[in-house]
Amino acid sequence: MSGAGATNAAGAAGVTPLVATGAAAAATAVILLVAADALSGAREQATREEARAAASLYEVPGVTEADVVSLLDGRARIVAPEAGGSGPGAFAYRAGALQPAAWIAVEPADEGNGWPWAAFVLALLGVLCMAAWAAARRRAPPPSRYPAAATLLCAALFALVAAAAQQWAHGELGAVSSARLARGLRAAGIAGAAGADPEAAARVAGLPWASGAALGEPDRIWTMPREAGEAIAADPQLRSAPRYTVVAGGATYHGGAVALREGPAGRAETPAGTLHLVFLGYEETSSPTVALIASAIGSALVVSLVLFLLPLAARPRALARTLAAWGFLAPAAALLLVFTFGPLLFSLWISLHDWRLVDPAHPFVGLENYRALLSDGGWWSAILNTGVFTLHVPAAMAVALALALLTRESRRAVRWARLALFLPSVTSVVAIAVVWKWLLNDGYGLANRALGAIGIGPVAWLTSPDVALVSLMVIGVWMVVGYQMVVFQAGLAAIPRVWYDAAKVDGAGPWQRFRHITLPGLRHTLFFVLVTSVIGSFQVFSLVYVMTEGGPLGATDVAVYHIYREAWEFLRFGNAAAMSWILFGVVFAATWLHFRLLERRGAHA
Amino acid sequence: MTREPRAVVLKGVRKRFGDVTAVADVDLEIRPGELMVLVGPSGCGKSTLLRLIAGLEEHDAGEVWIGDRCVDEVAPGSRDVAMVFQSYALYPHMTVAENLGFGLRVRGAGPAEIGRRVSEVAEVLGLGGLLSRRPGQLSGGQQQRVALGRAMVRDPGVFLFDEPLSNLDAALRLQTRDEIAALHRRLGTTMIFVTHDQVEALSLGQRVAVMDRGRVQQLGTPHEIYRRPANLFVAAFVGSPPMNRLRLARDGEGRLAGGPFVFPGSSPHPEATLGVRPEDLTVAVVAPPASGPPPGSAGTRPGPHPSPEFTATALRVESLGSEQRIHLDGPDDAAWVARAPSALRIAAGDRVDVSVAWQRTHLFGPDGSRTGAAPQPGRGSHPGTPA
Repeated sequence: MSGAGATNAAGAAGVTPLVATGAAAAATAVILLVAADALSGAREQATREEARAAASLYEVPGVTEADVVSLLDGRARIVAPEAGGSGPGAFAYRAGALQPAAWIAVEPADEGNGWPWAAFVLALLGVLCMAAWAAARRRAPPPSRYPAAATLLCAALFALVAAAAQQWAHGELGAVSSARLARGLRAAGIAGAAGADPEAAARVAGLPWASGAALGEPDRIWTMPREAGEAIAADPQLRSAPRYTVVAGGATYHGGAVALREGPAGRAETPAGTLHLVFLGYEETSSPTVALIASAIGSALVVSLVLFLLPLAARPRALARTLAAWGFLAPAAALLLVFTFGPLLFSLWISLHDWRLVDPAHPFVGLENYRALLSDGGWWSAILNTGVFTLHVPAAMAVALALALLTRESRRAVRWARLALFLPSVTSVVAIAVVWKWLLNDGYGLANRALGAIGIGPVAWLTSPDVALVSLMVIGVWMVVGYQMVVFQAGLAAIPRVWYDAAKVDGAGPWQRFRHITLPGLRHTLFFVLVTSVIGSFQVFSLVYVMTEGGPLGATDVAVYHIYREAWEFLRFGNAAAMSWILFGVVFAATWLHFRLLERRGAHA
Repeated sequence: MTREPRAVVLKGVRKRFGDVTAVADVDLEIRPGELMVLVGPSGCGKSTLLRLIAGLEEHDAGEVWIGDRCVDEVAPGSRDVAMVFQSYALYPHMTVAENLGFGLRVRGAGPAEIGRRVSEVAEVLGLGGLLSRRPGQLSGGQQQRVALGRAMVRDPGVFLFDEPLSNLDAALRLQTRDEIAALHRRLGTTMIFVTHDQVEALSLGQRVAVMDRGRVQQLGTPHEIYRRPANLFVAAFVGSPPMNRLRLARDGEGRLAGGPFVFPGSSPHPEATLGVRPEDLTVAVVAPPASGPPPGSAGTRPGPHPSPEFTATALRVESLGSEQRIHLDGPDDAAWVARAPSALRIAAGDRVDVSVAWQRTHLFGPDGSRTGAAPQPGRGSHPGTPA
C-alpha cells in the first residue's frame, strides 16, 4: 500500500480488505482462546477434585501414604499441613480431628496438547484466503459491496471456527472426564481394598453420583439421575463393562463399576460387591458452547462495525462525527446489550432447556417447556388472576381523571390534596404493602375495627379467596391514582381553553364539553397511561409477595409471582424462563392491540 | 336563512380582573343589523367586551341586553350569538362537517336537518369538497372559512368576531375582509368585529368604537373617527402614518403659539396640542440660492408658494409607489411626516417649504379633547417664519 495516505480515498478504500483480514484473524484467535480457556478451566477443576479424592483416601483407615501417592501416578505429595494451603491441593483430616493432618499437593496432569489444532488450521486457512485476496487486489479499491459480503463471509468463518472449537473442546473435555472417572474408580477400589464400606468408598471417589443398589432405583448412598440409571440398567453390556460413556436425557454421563470386598452383614443390597459410579462429564458442566456463540456473534458485530466505518477514513470530518456519535451511544448501548438484551437472549436459551438449579445437566428440550405450560392449570390461573387484577387500571384511570378535573384550579388546598394523592407513587411498594397488610388484618386491622364500630362484622380482606384479589386491586388503584392524576393534569393543561369557549358558544353543556372536547383532547394521554399502567399491572409482584404470598388458595397468585416461585422456590429455571416469555408475549400482544385500536380510530393533528 | 337581526345594548358594563379594570362602565348600543367594529391597542378591553357579550366572562356591574332581553343570567349557548375566534378554535378531532354541525348536534337537531344546514353553509362558503377533512389538513384560509361557517350554521341573531383575520397573510386578510363585508350585506345580521388593525376597522365598520383603557374613546362612522377625532388618543391611534402633533403654549398676549405659529385670538387654555394629518401638509422643494431651474418644479405647487408656513429639512424619503412619505424635522424639531405625490422629485437633505391646510387641522385642549380646527395663524410676526 505504498503511497496510500489516509486522505487518499482510493488508497484508504484499498486498505479495507487488509484491515478486514486483520480483524478476522484477531476474532478467530479470540474464539480459539475461549475454547482453550474452557478446557483449562475444566482441567483445573479436575485437579481440585483429584486433590479432594486423594485427601479423602488419606482419611480412610488402613490406607497408606503410598496408596495415596500411587492414586495420582506420583503427582501427589503429602506434606505437613503447615507447609500447605497454596497451589492445587487439599487438606486431609483424621477421623475426629479438627486440625488437618496433612496437605496433599497435586501437580496438574499433563494431558493432551491443549490446543484446538483443527479449528486453528481452519481459521488460518480462512484468514490466509482473505489475505491473499487483499494482496491480489492491492492496487484496486474493493467493490462497493465488499463490507457486506466480507461481513457475511467472516460470520460464516467464525461460525465454522466456533463449531470446530466446540467439537474439539467436547472431545478434550470427554478425555478429561474419562481420566477423572478412572481415578475416582481407582480411589474407590483402593478404599474398598482397605476395608471401607461402599458408602465410604463412594465418598472417597469424589464423584457426584454413585449407586450401590439396583441401577435406576433410589439409593441410600446417592441418587443417580433416573434417566442415566435406567439407561445403564437397560444395557447389560454397559452394566458389565468396567468403564463406559452413556448419553441419557440429553446429557453425557461417564460411569464405571468397581469391585468391593463383600460388605459387612446387613449390607446385602450391594450386589456382588460392585459399586457403580456415574458422573456428568465436563463436556456438560464446562461446555464452552454459550461462550463460543457469544464470542462468534460479538466478533461478527465488531468486524462489521470496522468494515462499515472504514470507508469513512478518507473523510476525517465525517469519521470524527461518526466516532463521536458512536462514542456517546456506546455506554448506553453497552449497558443495554449486557444488562437487557443479553439476559433476554439468555432467558430464551434457558427456556429451551430442562434447566434446574439442583441439576448440573441442562439438556436441550426444544419447546417442551412451552408445550408443558399449555396444560399447566396453575400457570393459567395465575395468568387469569393477573388479567383480573389488571381490571383495576380502568377503574384507577376513571378515578384519576375525576381527581384531575377536580384539582384543575391551583389553590393552596388543592395543591396539598395533589401532594397527598401523589405520595403513594413515590413511596416504597414494600412499605405500602406492610402498612396495608396491617390495616387489613382480620383481627386487629384498622379497617375491620372501623367496620365493627358501625356494627358490620369483620371482613376477611386478605384471607378469603373471594375478597383477597379485590383488596389488592383496591390498593393498586390507590397506589397509581396519584401518578395518573398528575399525567392527566398535564394533558388537560395542553387542551386550549378556546376550544371550551367555542363549545360554550356552540351551546355544549358540561357533559358535552367533557365528551367532545376533554376526552378527545386527552386521547393520547389516556393511551399512554393505559399502556404503561397495564404493563405495570401485568408485572405486579411486591404487593403480592409481601401481602398474600399468592394465597389464599392461590387466589392472588399472579404471573410474576408464579414465575418467581417456579424459579426460586422450585428451582425450575427452564419452566420459569418459558413462563416469562409467555408473559412477555401477552404484554406485547396487549400493547400492540392498543396501538392498532388507536391507529384505526384515525390520527389527527 | 336569515332572521330578524338583534340589537346589542351594554349598560354601564364593568369587568375587573384582580386589580386591573378591563372594561370600565361601558355604555354602547349596537343597532340591529349593524356591523360594529371595536378597535384599540392590545389590552384596551375590546376582546373582554366581546367575551362579555358572548357570556364567556361574567361582568361585575351593568347589564348586557341582546334583542329584547337581558342576558346576564343566560348561558353562552342560549344567547343567540355565534363567535369566530382568532385561532379559529376548530375541534381538531372532528371533520369539517362535524365541526360545522356541532352546534346543531349539541342542541339535539336531527341528522337530516344538520346535513341540510351544513351543506347549505358549505355551499355558500365554498367548502363543499372539504367536508370530510380534518382541520389539520386545511390551510389557514380554509380553517377561517370553516370557523365562519360554524358561526353561520346556527343562524344566530348576532355574530361576534374576535380578531378573525390576524392569523392570515396580507393578501388573504384583504380578501377575507371583503368576504365578511359581503356576508354582512347578504345576511343583514348584527355583527360585532374586534380588531387592533385601524385600517380593518375603518374599511369594514359601519360604525367604529375606538377603545382605550377599558373605555370607549369615540363612537362614530369611520369618516367621523378619521376626520373629527374626539381626542388626542383617537387622533394618534387612527391614521397611518399617525397625525403630526405640536405642543402649543399661551404667550404673553394670551395667544397660543408654538414653533413658527402664532394663532390669533386669546385662548381659554394655557396650553394645547396642534394636530395635522400628513396629507394636510403640502411640501415643495426650496429653490437653491444659486442659479439653475428650481429642482422642485415637479412638485404640487410649482413656482412660488402662496403660503409656505415654514421651511424644514427632509430627513428621509419613503417611496411607496403611489405616494411618498417625507420625514421632516418639523416645527420645534418635532418629527413630522408629510405625504406627497410620487411625482415630486425630492431627496433626503433637501430644504422644503411646507404649507398647511388649516381648515382640516385639529386643536386639542389640555385634557386631550378636540376643540375644533386651528385658525389660520398670523404671519411674519414670528422669528421662525421664513423670509
